[in-house]
Amino acid sequence: MKRILGLLTIGIFMLGLIACGSTDKGSTSEGSGDNGTDANIDEEVEISFYLTGSMNMKDLWDEIIPMFEKEHPNIKVDLVHMDASGGPQAMLDRMEAAKAAGKSSGIDVFSADLRDVVRGNKEGLWAKLDEEKVPNMVNVEGDYLEGVDYHGVPYRASSVVLAYNSENVPNPPQTADELYDWIRNNPGKFAYNDPATGGAGNSFMVSAIYNFLEPEALLSGDHDIMDKWDQGFELLKELHPYMYGEGIYPKKNEGTMKILSGGEVDMVPVWSDMALEHIDRGLLPESTKLIQIDPPLTGGPVYMLAINDSEHLDAVYKFIDFSLSSEPQSLIVNNLNGYPGIKFEEMPQEAQEKFEGIEGNYRLTNLGDLEIEMQKRWQKEVATQ
Amino acid sequence: MSKKFKQGLMGLTMVFPSFLLLTFVCIVPIIIAIVESLKNPQGNLDFANYISLFAEESSRNNIFFTLKVTFVSVILILVVSYSLAVYLRFSEGFIANLIKKTYMIPIFIPGIIATYGIMNMYENHGWLAKILYQFGLESIPRFVYDFKGIILTELWFNIPFTTMLLGAALVGIQDSVIESAKDVGAGKLKVFFKFILPLSYQTMLVALTFIFMGVIGGFLAPYLIGPNSPQMLGVAMQQIFSVYQDRGLASANAVLMFVLSAVVGIFYIRTMIKDSDLN
Repeated sequence: MKRILGLLTIGIFMLGLIACGSTDKGSTSEGSGDNGTDANIDEEVEISFYLTGSMNMKDLWDEIIPMFEKEHPNIKVDLVHMDASGGPQAMLDRMEAAKAAGKSSGIDVFSADLRDVVRGNKEGLWAKLDEEKVPNMVNVEGDYLEGVDYHGVPYRASSVVLAYNSENVPNPPQTADELYDWIRNNPGKFAYNDPATGGAGNSFMVSAIYNFLEPEALLSGDHDIMDKWDQGFELLKELHPYMYGEGIYPKKNEGTMKILSGGEVDMVPVWSDMALEHIDRGLLPESTKLIQIDPPLTGGPVYMLAINDSEHLDAVYKFIDFSLSSEPQSLIVNNLNGYPGIKFEEMPQEAQEKFEGIEGNYRLTNLGDLEIEMQKRWQKEVATQ
Repeated sequence: MSKKFKQGLMGLTMVFPSFLLLTFVCIVPIIIAIVESLKNPQGNLDFANYISLFAEESSRNNIFFTLKVTFVSVILILVVSYSLAVYLRFSEGFIANLIKKTYMIPIFIPGIIATYGIMNMYENHGWLAKILYQFGLESIPRFVYDFKGIILTELWFNIPFTTMLLGAALVGIQDSVIESAKDVGAGKLKVFFKFILPLSYQTMLVALTFIFMGVIGGFLAPYLIGPNSPQMLGVAMQQIFSVYQDRGLASANAVLMFVLSAVVGIFYIRTMIKDSDLN
């Protein structure tokens, strides 16, 4: 009972913290005073947080972890960072092997994308979370939690959106169909990158194909669905002559942003975080605006996961909960240009303004190796015409 | 132990390290690639990968495209480099000296930087288009994301080294040979075709082999500057291997590329042997 009360107190306090906004110094100092009531954690514990991703992710957590440790002096977080290529695979293998051997993997918290969450879920690696353990979960969009059956919380995300030159395009398309019409009416002014070379072009392709299918299809890796791709591929083939250079698909996500900044095209699909960073650094002109269409282009959250066999689950829950609180979320929006894990309404005004036009949600996908099959077919049918 | 045996042993000991290196860097991977390329997705041994390599239209187009790029590059590079080398060998004066001092510069510019530089130069809104626009030229032909772009980059990468190679061969031709030919009344063209060309063509074959190998296995420039389809074999192979994760087909691609290079290699070795027999 005492434990539940303690958690509730912290939960209510956390809610208060969010309501106060990100830079409210008063609530932070109050926070350190509140630590005495960490009723269930008496002795000092150390939790290992395994993180994969590029260096900017490590930089982000190097800022967040001291904030957390300041609020929870008994909990030390040991950050282990690994490169995104091969890193997640190696860690999942390690956790699965440890579970099979009935030993502890030594990993307490893990951060991963949807594909790895689903894979680990099959093996029962992640602990199920609820609002009692992680009170800040109430601020997260329910769909993203249901997608993983509450076995993880998304703490940040990025999505593919459209970037356009607002000087030449005063009325950008709002829906997918309007976008395809816009492409037909403005030949040579749209480009998406070769899907095999970058996620932005891949998302355009996936969206074009799956807009003709049931929404649930995006979350299924079932190969039977390949027969139903024809309509989507017909659309992509039909759009081919209206593309930049009558059918040129630049390589990599940067390739399309380069021709957008050079003024050769007026609209391209981009990763939201990449495009916002490019605008901040002046690599894309200030007239560049972002917009999300309906149905949205695909994107993906990154989840925080509590490992089932961890010996310090209480501390882990506190850490995960903290990642959803106001300060880390503001850092994600401001420093990383990422989508916050919590709903936009819960974010400060400033962050909401930054994401104006693209705050419409992204679509989750978990297609597994179907994406490879799609890219192969794209190369054969769309690129070769 | 006889002296001859000792010498033979010595020779073998000296060759052994490089043989070992060759074994692990070339021979073993080639055998693995050949075995891998004969495995179909079910893991059985057959020619499925080679059949799809030649049966599929896009893949056939890739092969033809690669050969086209290679032949055009080889011819253009040899023509330009040979003319340049001949000019530099037999000309004096300010311009020739300036070219002599500067033609090596492209070798010292890293490939990735040069490739992006070429893109900035030749793309639709690039420097060339901007400059020509000032003179009233509205549009230029497409270089970037096109066959022509790959050829331009290959010219950039290969001309300096080839010129150097051919230049060295031309320097080896004694002035006295040419002068005596002229003395007995040979014209400029006759001197070129009867003396200069025969005396330097062996080096030209060496250069041809180098260029052929370099262009056919190229990746960076064709990846960044080439069209989406058809692709050069290097680009297609990378995509099949790391994006599609189809090791068998990627290996079949690699074996094909190796065979194409080997054909040129055999041709080169045979010419060399024939020449040494004549001498």
